[in-house]
Amino acid sequence: MAGTRGLRSSRRALRQPSRPAPRVSRRRLAGVSVAQRLSGRVHAGAAEVSVQVRTLDELLHAPLIADSELTTQEYLVNMGPQHPIAHGSLRVVLRLDGETVKHVIPVPGYVHRGVEKMCEHLTYRQIVPYTDRLDYLSAIMNNWAVARMVEAAAGIPTNYRIETIRTIMAELQRLQSHALWWGVTGMDLGAYTAFLYGFREREIIGEIFEETIGARLTMNYIQPGGLMYDIKPDFAAKVKKLLPYLKDCIEQYETLLSGNVIFQERLRNIGMIDGARALALGCTGPILRASGVPYDLRAAEPYGMYGKVQFNVVVGAVGDCWDRYYVRLEEMRESIRIIEQLIDNIPEGPIATLRYNDDIILPEGLHYGHVETARGVFGVLAASDGTSKTPYRLHFRSPNFNNLWVVTAIAAGWRIADFIAIQSSLDLVIPDIDR
Amino acid sequence: MGVALEKLPGIVERFPGGSVAITRLDQAINLARSNSLWPLMFGTKCCAIEMLMATGASHHDLSRFGAEVARASVRQADLMVIAGAIVKKMAPRMRLLYEQMAEPRYVIATGSCAISGGPFMYNSYTVVRGADEVIPVDVYVPGCPPRPEAFFWGLLTLQRMIREGETIREPGIRRKPVMAALPEDVTIHEIRKEIRGTLIDENVIDVEKSANEKPWAQKVREWIRKASSR
Repeated sequence: MAGTRGLRSSRRALRQPSRPAPRVSRRRLAGVSVAQRLSGRVHAGAAEVSVQVRTLDELLHAPLIADSELTTQEYLVNMGPQHPIAHGSLRVVLRLDGETVKHVIPVPGYVHRGVEKMCEHLTYRQIVPYTDRLDYLSAIMNNWAVARMVEAAAGIPTNYRIETIRTIMAELQRLQSHALWWGVTGMDLGAYTAFLYGFREREIIGEIFEETIGARLTMNYIQPGGLMYDIKPDFAAKVKKLLPYLKDCIEQYETLLSGNVIFQERLRNIGMIDGARALALGCTGPILRASGVPYDLRAAEPYGMYGKVQFNVVVGAVGDCWDRYYVRLEEMRESIRIIEQLIDNIPEGPIATLRYNDDIILPEGLHYGHVETARGVFGVLAASDGTSKTPYRLHFRSPNFNNLWVVTAIAAGWRIADFIAIQSSLDLVIPDIDR
Repeated sequence: MGVALEKLPGIVERFPGGSVAITRLDQAINLARSNSLWPLMFGTKCCAIEMLMATGASHHDLSRFGAEVARASVRQADLMVIAGAIVKKMAPRMRLLYEQMAEPRYVIATGSCAISGGPFMYNSYTVVRGADEVIPVDVYVPGCPPRPEAFFWGLLTLQRMIREGETIREPGIRRKPVMAALPEDVTIHEIRKEIRGTLIDENVIDVEKSANEKPWAQKVREWIRKASSR
């Protein structure tokens, strides 16, 4: 991979069409601590960068500046809701000048099921399965957010066994999610073989989930105060057997797709977003880290067993599509490292500190719990009146909703084919946006 | 011809040469249609991962059933897999997609959301309670989400329905695949036995007997006798 990273310099030497200049943010970040960097960036973001909120009417009637001498015509093109790049049903209205994207207007709401309103009629345990159906590729991690919120608010203790199994499961799912994303990105950019390889690993990790949990996709595993089921006796042996295989698979990914010149040309220096703008838009996860901000909830505010294991927060340099791609590949390696440190020492103990039919009543007030999913920070904010078993009001802070608006900030000025690469590198899950 | 073949004149047909074929052209066309379904790339929610992506990938391999040519354009597709909840904003678009598909078109609804609203049946103000309120559905595959194997079962059911149901002679009529279509006193074993018997009677040749009866065989035999007596 050292050889392929070196391709960046040659690519920069190529003549480029007029595009936004890349903003290198890493150099400016050097030499301060993580906390200083974060607070500094947030402050600087508020002072320097203003994220312009423009209405649909303004976007549609903004003056159009042609970027070529050819006579072009303005077009409004709908992408979606039924489109392969939509990965679900997201509608994106593109305002085009020739083939250049001028404005991007996302129109979410085609899978809006009203989950937050429904949760007002559900007890805290019943909310957990509905979080599976939001970001279904991070189902276990979404469950964990509800569990953390309830445990912190009601003072429900957990033990090391619960937290260790939760961490291992969450990291396995992060691996599964990134493997799937890798395959789908390859398919979006025209490499169908990548799709077959990505799904091969997804099925192999899925077999472990299936044995333990009984579900393949919408896994309802982490409960407030414990886990739904205990792990099987041969769970640790199977995971340990799996890890070296996954390492080989990631090396295969590198040789298969990362080194491909066409693939690199489609990702490098495309869709740059700098750290300050990414923070101002509220995006999290690999997108924020790819633009140089080392913010990972697992490291910044350790929960589960993350405080007791060694892992690196992977940070990109430029914030282009390639960085977003490569940050995820590196994160898969870090996930394997985390599992390796935990899998030998799963402590003994009960898998639940609360009986399943116990009532959970949260004290009056606002309660918040969040985790780092495969796509960013997923948070649950619940308002409780202190008497009923159901929340008075509930809100999900879903990572994809904030990550979606990155396209409005960075997609202008690129061609349609680049827009496909940008949207694919954001790794959006649409039901998480619409809720 | 036995009892079974006389009672099923539409299915068993004689060839001019003498043998029989248990088919009609309609059925040949239906067979071709059932084994070359082109699904539409249309998924709204979690089921899309399992139904359209995991089945099409290497582990499960949808192409074993001849339905791996997923098309992004509705005009090239004839199978719509409704994978996920349909909300009120999406329902008119789904209806439009269905109407744009070329005839004959088939619909499989997978997952509880597409069948009845599933977990969003109560207290949700947007979800359409079942995709069949908007478009006609041929096969339902239950589950949340169903396993890929369950989807294959649904696909095989649809293929059987296509083979035994609507024909080009009677378009617009879809029959359920039921064995009750046979007359009461006829079993499938009888039909197979009779057809096998008929085929053997008409097509099996006794090589020795036919060789002796041939006119040139007599000449050859005489020639051999002359040659040996010399």
